[in-house]
Amino acid sequence: MGAAKVLNAKGLACPMPIVKTKKAMAELETGQILEIHATDKGAKSDLAAWSASGGHELVDSTEENDVLKFWIKKG
Amino acid sequence: MSNSNKVAIIASNGGVFDAYKVFNIATAAAATEKEVAIFFTFEGLNLIHKEANQNLPMPAGKEHFAEGFKNANVPSIPELVAMAQELGVTFIGCQMTMDVMGLEKEAFVDGIEVGGAVTFLEFAKDADVSLTF
Repeated sequence: MGAAKVLNAKGLACPMPIVKTKKAMAELETGQILEIHATDKGAKSDLAAWSASGGHELVDSTEENDVLKFWIKKG
Repeated sequence: MSNSNKVAIIASNGGVFDAYKVFNIATAAAATEKEVAIFFTFEGLNLIHKEANQNLPMPAGKEHFAEGFKNANVPSIPELVAMAQELGVTFIGCQMTMDVMGLEKEAFVDGIEVGGAVTFLEFAKDADVSLTF
C-alpha cells in the first residue's frame, strides 16, 4: 500500500499513539495514506475510533509479532 | 466544526492517578479535534502547579505501581501538561481555591486562565461530554 509517511509509535502508551498520529496526519494531504506501527493494544480500537471521528478511512490493519500496523487514508 | 464538539473536564483531585485520568482523556480528545477545557479546583490545582506536578502522590498502598508506569513507558505528568497545551487544551484555574490556598497565578504552568465556576460553566453548557475527576 502506498503510504506517504510511516509513523513509528512502537513502545508508546496511550494516549501517545493517537497524539503522534494526529500530528503526522496534519502533514499529509487529503487522500494520502499514513502507515502507523504501534505496540499499544488499545491502539486497535482507538485508531479505528479516531479515524471515524475525524472523517478519515482506516483502510487496513494487521497484527504480527505484537506489532500492530494501520493504514489510514486522510479524509 | 460544530460547537457540540466540546469536552468539559473538572479536575478536583491531586494524586498522580487523577492526573493521568485527566490528561490522558484531555490529550486524546484534543488529538481527535475536540475543543477541550479543564477546570482545576481544590486538590486538582496540584496537577498544573509547576512544582507539585513533578511529583504527585500515589494513592496510599499503591506505591508499587510506580514501576508499572516506568515499564509501560507512560509520559510524565509535566510532559502530558505540555502536550495538552500544545494541542490547544484550555486550563482554567479556580480563583477561589487559589485565594483559599494563598497561591498566585505564577505558581502554575504558563498559559493558564484563572476564573470562577461560571467561566467553566459557560464553556461546559453546550459540551456533549462532561467529565469529573
